[in-house]
Amino acid sequence: MTDINPDFIELDKQMSDRELDSSPIELLEKIKQEGRVWDELSEEYGVDNPDPPWRISLEATCDGLAGGYWAPFNICLPEEERQPVMADDNKIDSNERRWEEDKLVDQHYADVPFPERQLLALAHTMIRRGMISEDELAKHMKAVDERLHMADGLDD
Amino acid sequence: MSSNDKEHLHPPAPVVDEVSDFEVLEIAVRELAIEKGLFTQEDHNQWTDYMHTLGPAPAARLVAKAWLDPEYKKVCVEDGVKASLDVGIDWVNTMPTKFGTPSDYCNLRVMEDTPTLKHVVVCTLCSCYPRPILGQSPEWYRTPNYRRRIVRWPRQVLAEFGLQLPEDVEIRVVDSNQKSRMIVLPVRPEGTEGWTEDQLAEIVTRDCLIGVAVPKPGVTANGKRPVRPAVNPYKH
Repeated sequence: MTDINPDFIELDKQMSDRELDSSPIELLEKIKQEGRVWDELSEEYGVDNPDPPWRISLEATCDGLAGGYWAPFNICLPEEERQPVMADDNKIDSNERRWEEDKLVDQHYADVPFPERQLLALAHTMIRRGMISEDELAKHMKAVDERLHMADGLDD
Repeated sequence: MSSNDKEHLHPPAPVVDEVSDFEVLEIAVRELAIEKGLFTQEDHNQWTDYMHTLGPAPAARLVAKAWLDPEYKKVCVEDGVKASLDVGIDWVNTMPTKFGTPSDYCNLRVMEDTPTLKHVVVCTLCSCYPRPILGQSPEWYRTPNYRRRIVRWPRQVLAEFGLQLPEDVEIRVVDSNQKSRMIVLPVRPEGTEGWTEDQLAEIVTRDCLIGVAVPKPGVTANGKRPVRPAVNPYKH
């Protein structure tokens, strides 16, 4: 019987050798502690949808970051039709992202339900890889929050 | 009263009337990625639209058709990608060809159960899943707990899903990977004689297609699963 997938062992070795910084990130810790998860909101408001409305968007972001949009590994296509591969520092390989997600969830986000934990782990990975900074993420979140609340208090 | 007013006489559906930090975080991460040119808004929109169309219905239809047509069942087992065309899923030529992870659309394998052989699908590496024909993977499928334990103690884990198999039924755990995705073609249950394809498709739930449940007349939805952390996951 297969016990541990050899690909996993290889991936685990590669990723462990990279010694990625998995220390907590203050901004994400704050969201973890103060953010209201979908399970809580949907119960309070009586909404049936088991997933938050942003789940598919998050999946699409993960696929986009994997470089999948450019079909770099598309073995279904003839070689001449394949799109250029993104530079390595501009993408997050799906297997690596999932490996890091498992590790980060285990270390920091075990008490957060899915898919909120997937989102926190993705942001964590992007910050630690230097793709975005904690500071710019905090600033952009503030801008998004203000934008989403622009209509508050206005008459319909 | 305008016709528009008449249309809104029913009580409004409940909505979540507040913005959560997680919603804001998802938007911020996505917009920053787009700002930095990691992908485009157009690509994201296109992929999101496509993903919203996905679900387990085509795979359930495939199984129902296979139950009714032995020739089609042969095609399913021999060439899952070809069989998928009959349920409207073109793994090679539709939108996914240009999007997503390539293994989503290159090799679908349909694992046929028999009365003495039960297949169950896992991805021990991460969470590979046949999204074009089955939609998004459930939370428990992604967890290290399921991924590590199903290959070691399949009978016990299936029992936790409520599926208790006799000792003389062999359980075969199949591992999805970068090259192949799998669905299970379960045994048609007793009590479905004379049923139409539509009736049969209704009882083939997502969990039946992953292999952690078997179809039963009257059961048309998956049970809610508690998600437990792995007590002793690999190297942790």
